[in-house]
Amino acid sequence: MRLAKGISQLHQAEKDLADEYGRVADRHAVEHDVYHMCHLLAAQCESHAERLGPFAERYGGKLRDVDAPELWESFMGTVRRKNAELLGRSKHTGLLLLRDLRQLYLLAAETEINWWMVRQAAMAARDSELAELFETCHEETCNQLKWIKTKVKEASAQVLVGG
Amino acid sequence: MAVRVDLQLEEGLGEQDVDRWVQSACVLCSHGCGMDIAVKNDRIVGVRGRAEDRINRGRLGPKGLYGWQANNAADRLTRPLIRRDGELVETDWDTALGAVVERSRQLLATQGPLAMAFYTTGQLFLEEYYTQAVIGMAGIGTPHMDGNTRLCTATADQALKESFGSDGDPGCYEDINDCDTLFLVGHNVAETQTVMWMRMLDRLHGPDRPRLVVVDPRATPAAREADVHLAIRNGTNLALLNGIQHELIANGWVDHGFVDAHTVGFDQIRKIVTQYPPERAAAICGVPATQIHEAARVVGTARRLVSTCLQGVYQSHQATASAVAINNLNLLRGMIGRPGCTVFQMNGQPTAQNTRECGANGDMPAFLNWQNPNHIEQLARHWNVDPSVIPHWFRHTHAMQIFRYCEEGAIRLLWISGTNPAVSLPELARIRSILAQERLFVVVQDAFLTETARLADVVLPTALWGEKTGTFTNADRTVHLSEQAVDPPGEARTDLEIWIEYARRMNLQDADGQPLVKWSAPEEAFDHFKRLTQGRPCDYSGMSYDKLRTQGQIQWPCNDQHPDGAQRLYEDLVFNTDPDDCEEYGHDLTTGAGNEEKDYRALNPAGRAILKAADYSPPHELPTEDYPLLLTTGRTVYHFHTRTKTGRSRRLQEAAPEVWVEVSATDAERLGIGEGDLVRAESRRGSLQGRARIGDIRRGVVFVPFHYGYWDRQASGPDGDGRAANELTVSDWDPVSKQPYFKVAAVRLVRVEPADGQQAPAPEVTA
Repeated sequence: MRLAKGISQLHQAEKDLADEYGRVADRHAVEHDVYHMCHLLAAQCESHAERLGPFAERYGGKLRDVDAPELWESFMGTVRRKNAELLGRSKHTGLLLLRDLRQLYLLAAETEINWWMVRQAAMAARDSELAELFETCHEETCNQLKWIKTKVKEASAQVLVGG
Repeated sequence: MAVRVDLQLEEGLGEQDVDRWVQSACVLCSHGCGMDIAVKNDRIVGVRGRAEDRINRGRLGPKGLYGWQANNAADRLTRPLIRRDGELVETDWDTALGAVVERSRQLLATQGPLAMAFYTTGQLFLEEYYTQAVIGMAGIGTPHMDGNTRLCTATADQALKESFGSDGDPGCYEDINDCDTLFLVGHNVAETQTVMWMRMLDRLHGPDRPRLVVVDPRATPAAREADVHLAIRNGTNLALLNGIQHELIANGWVDHGFVDAHTVGFDQIRKIVTQYPPERAAAICGVPATQIHEAARVVGTARRLVSTCLQGVYQSHQATASAVAINNLNLLRGMIGRPGCTVFQMNGQPTAQNTRECGANGDMPAFLNWQNPNHIEQLARHWNVDPSVIPHWFRHTHAMQIFRYCEEGAIRLLWISGTNPAVSLPELARIRSILAQERLFVVVQDAFLTETARLADVVLPTALWGEKTGTFTNADRTVHLSEQAVDPPGEARTDLEIWIEYARRMNLQDADGQPLVKWSAPEEAFDHFKRLTQGRPCDYSGMSYDKLRTQGQIQWPCNDQHPDGAQRLYEDLVFNTDPDDCEEYGHDLTTGAGNEEKDYRALNPAGRAILKAADYSPPHELPTEDYPLLLTTGRTVYHFHTRTKTGRSRRLQEAAPEVWVEVSATDAERLGIGEGDLVRAESRRGSLQGRARIGDIRRGVVFVPFHYGYWDRQASGPDGDGRAANELTVSDWDPVSKQPYFKVAAVRLVRVEPADGQQAPAPEVTA
């Protein structure tokens, strides 16, 4: 059974998405709502990834620990936040925000479709626990997509027309 | 029984000395007490409660009794001001408005309407908000329109929309008379709405006393009357309310017949709240689990439940999710739409309801739905403009985002009317630096030279209540007419006159090339608005100025079906959630992600109320070793908002003359702070100084009233340590209602100098 592979891919997608939320939060630290929500959603992704752990084991897989060195990340976070403050009054921040939100959307969509793959496999493997995990986590991923879309809808007009 | 009529006149005057009494209502809290204005020699000399008014039966609160004195203040603005060589100097109306028009035209030509923003208040009249909404949306075409209601009742508005499909409090104040249980969450009613508190006290100290549960980190007067007082940790309302919902379900205190027939979403909320047994909620909230059991038992065994909430919910972490959870309680118990059974999403300001109804706060007028093309079509027809003119690609921009756009230079003209963001918004150093930018043209419309006005490029002097005619609506949908009693001082004009003159000078036109604003008097504006509301939940179509004069007050909806107004909404248990009628399609309460029409239709509410829940998440700024205390800001009964009016009423000012810092005895002892010591409160964003009041407040929590700024020091900001509570607060807001958080910021206290015999200048009579 290659279910372990599917779980591992999903795990990777959640970890990547969490990292990207963290980077976007720092890059846009002056957009207070983006900053706080991205941190909340990063934690959500981390929690999804963690809850996949036992299932990876169940199907004989191993999840890669891909966390970047903490010290380096904390250093880069500071650099990104300072940069955000310095650029806070520049009109280019809007365009950067739209670009980052688009990237987040693509990563979240990748995560969402990975959840479907795992869910279909869980049904076929009659793993009700894994199917149940899908119910909780997938809904949150869908709300993440919806939040990113809402934020894009809010920002686009001002950035692209308002200047 | 004789009715007690509260009366306050200038010293030495008796009722017989008054030349005339002019019908009005109080504009110093959301309760909306009917009052008459006393006039002598064409001057306001006092007020008297209206005995025949069902809202207050002749009673008035301290702000109502004394607030009118501000009208006669010596430092009223009487001439327009304009900035010349860095200084504000007096000028004439033609020059002042000419400058505003010139900048508007220039921005529209070079950057378009998205470079302009309007930020208004909860203090003006319906007619003024409506006129401003028409000008902003259909004349300029900007989505950047909000009011300071964003800081005050945005969450009330939002929670009502999420649960019931549209704004509008379902109940009436008489429900307080009829209930057998009162549940007050973050609602310091004795300070915010004294006459409502009198109504509650009449019940609490009378026969057949209702049970009372109060949630507040401070031992407020209401908390002292409570059967159960939950002094929870700031920012944990949602965990508590999830815990109580858990208990209602676990103990079979849910009216399943009601829930099945009249709500959707029960399975969704059950899934979430079952994860909050009282023991878990108690650990999060920092109260004993037995208290949560007890509170849930009181709510769960109520026969007629009135739940209320205010800033302790709206300005705190997870505001909308918490306010919606309170709606859930009444829905789960099937207690809504009949006497003694309702939920009050309270308002703070007297006319905040009208900001919301007229679309001056980010909503569409008449509770129309920005996502519903038929609604936009209807609005455009009423205004005779092309629908594409009215910005409806997104919710209108909320205040914190407007200030962000000003900060990054996208907005270049900010027009502020009747409010004082340089004291009332969070993180004041940032707000002042935004307003002071050279590239931002700031117009301020006010009766006084506020902290904000000092940072303006043009200041337009306005009339106050009593100097103009118009209507406003309180927290139980009661509309009052307030008549002009005297003329405004000097060259001051009403806000309505200013908007209309601006529209004329800008040559704002409808689709036929006719003037966009087709009225010149308040009554015409009222009539234009009321025609738009016909068939909407806030139906004013059956009202008129004459009817308001005769009846004294009328609750909307007032139409053919309810010619004298309707006491309650949803008596037929049909909610405003039909997809074609509803004001909004709702949001995910955790992220604020907005539903689209298809999501909402899939939910299929079709007239049923919507149950929604969210998981608790910790506040963003938690106490640390460096900043070990949690700040909550709030009110005293003697002051309103930033004291612009109440600080100019001698009696009110004397009653609460200066800021103070309230701290628990335990923390005070640990920090070596005594009563009356001068202390400095510091957060990551700023600092303030005030005398310490050792109070009955939760350990680890610090309270500072938010009213005190710098106008009476002739400044827009501090020189050194500040005085305004918002020097300390954090730029952070609820993801759904966008209401800023004023109840969760990490601070530390440092003793500056000993009391030397002085006490803190905090009022003794209230909390």
